[in-house]
Amino acid sequence: MSGRDHLDIHPSATPLAAALRALPEAAPMPDLWPDLAKTLAERKRPRWRRYAIPLGAAAALAIALLVPTLATHERVEAPIAWTPVTTNATADELAALHDRSRTLERWIAAVSARAPQDGRDLMAAVEVEDLIGLVDVQLGGANGDADALPLWRQRVALLEDLAAIRGNGAAFAATGEQDGVVPASLNLLN
Amino acid sequence: MLATESRGPASPEPVSAASFQIDVPDLVLARARRGEARALETIYRAFERPAYTLALRMVGDAESAREVVHDAMLRLIERIGQFRGDAPFWGWLRQIVVNESLMRLRKDRGVAFDEFDDADEPPGDAPPPWLLADAARLERALMRLPAMTRSVLWLHHVEEYTHQEIAAMTGKSVSFSKSQVARGGTRLRRLLETETKESAPCLAATI
Repeated sequence: MSGRDHLDIHPSATPLAAALRALPEAAPMPDLWPDLAKTLAERKRPRWRRYAIPLGAAAALAIALLVPTLATHERVEAPIAWTPVTTNATADELAALHDRSRTLERWIAAVSARAPQDGRDLMAAVEVEDLIGLVDVQLGGANGDADALPLWRQRVALLEDLAAIRGNGAAFAATGEQDGVVPASLNLLN
Repeated sequence: MLATESRGPASPEPVSAASFQIDVPDLVLARARRGEARALETIYRAFERPAYTLALRMVGDAESAREVVHDAMLRLIERIGQFRGDAPFWGWLRQIVVNESLMRLRKDRGVAFDEFDDADEPPGDAPPPWLLADAARLERALMRLPAMTRSVLWLHHVEEYTHQEIAAMTGKSVSFSKSQVARGGTRLRRLLETETKESAPCLAATI
């Protein structure tokens, strides 16, 4: 490696290094390649097939979230006056992100319980869940709202991704889509 | 030369930084960049053992190491188009594996703050026990070290990362890296000596 520590003995020259380097190599069991190949094949699907279903699910999510809101607001609200950015902007955005996060989590829980997950989507979902866990760990160490804000934005973005993936499973279950058949809802777009 | 020969379990090869130092031919890289599955598998097969061994030494258990290698290979596949070729491919891949392992350690155990408190003990006159220990004993003792200590020890002694590089990767200081290497050696010595003492009566009884 570059920039070797000039004052140190070269690590590979020590008896401990030699002993550690003499340990046998290990191999993953069982073979990891079949899983990787499956993911790779999934990613090589035509773009419209990769994105159409998640986009459809995202649209369904948007409708699911908007319809109850519209239904409960029968009166037309007066336009809200524009207010300049205040020092409370961060706190307000955080509160909004918390709400959005809770809503998404409830929706994901509901959708996940409804539909069996396709293997590829399950892998993708687990990966996104891992990333959410990582953000949560970072949130645990955040100092104040300013630190937490970008992490909450990231968390909500990841939850939206997860919602799209989980919704994908729900769409399959709901439409009974077979491989290569476009869901009926997407045909309406054409 | 691309080392694609399979190494059977019956003939394990010693691990060294050199085991990761596999030069991938430009042609294979070009095909992998185009997303050709055969080329990606060739690369995977070439690096699966060094990648898994490194991950296993760092995260300490087989299942986590498998996940690290899986995730690292996915990252590789995602980003291979960004590899510019101005540094060795193996170094780039190894860095992905190290980063994934560190991320796993931080996530699973908050291990970034995992330091042990025992004071350094000057080694006695006896020869270091790893000169006498067989691979199985050394491996057992190694796995009993705290995860971050074991990782730093491995990265420095086997993968030949400098203390500066380890400090940058772990978000710690150079002296942290040096102390982990020193204390890791001390702890390993103690673990091996303890095991020797514990097994001595058994050995005596069998004679």
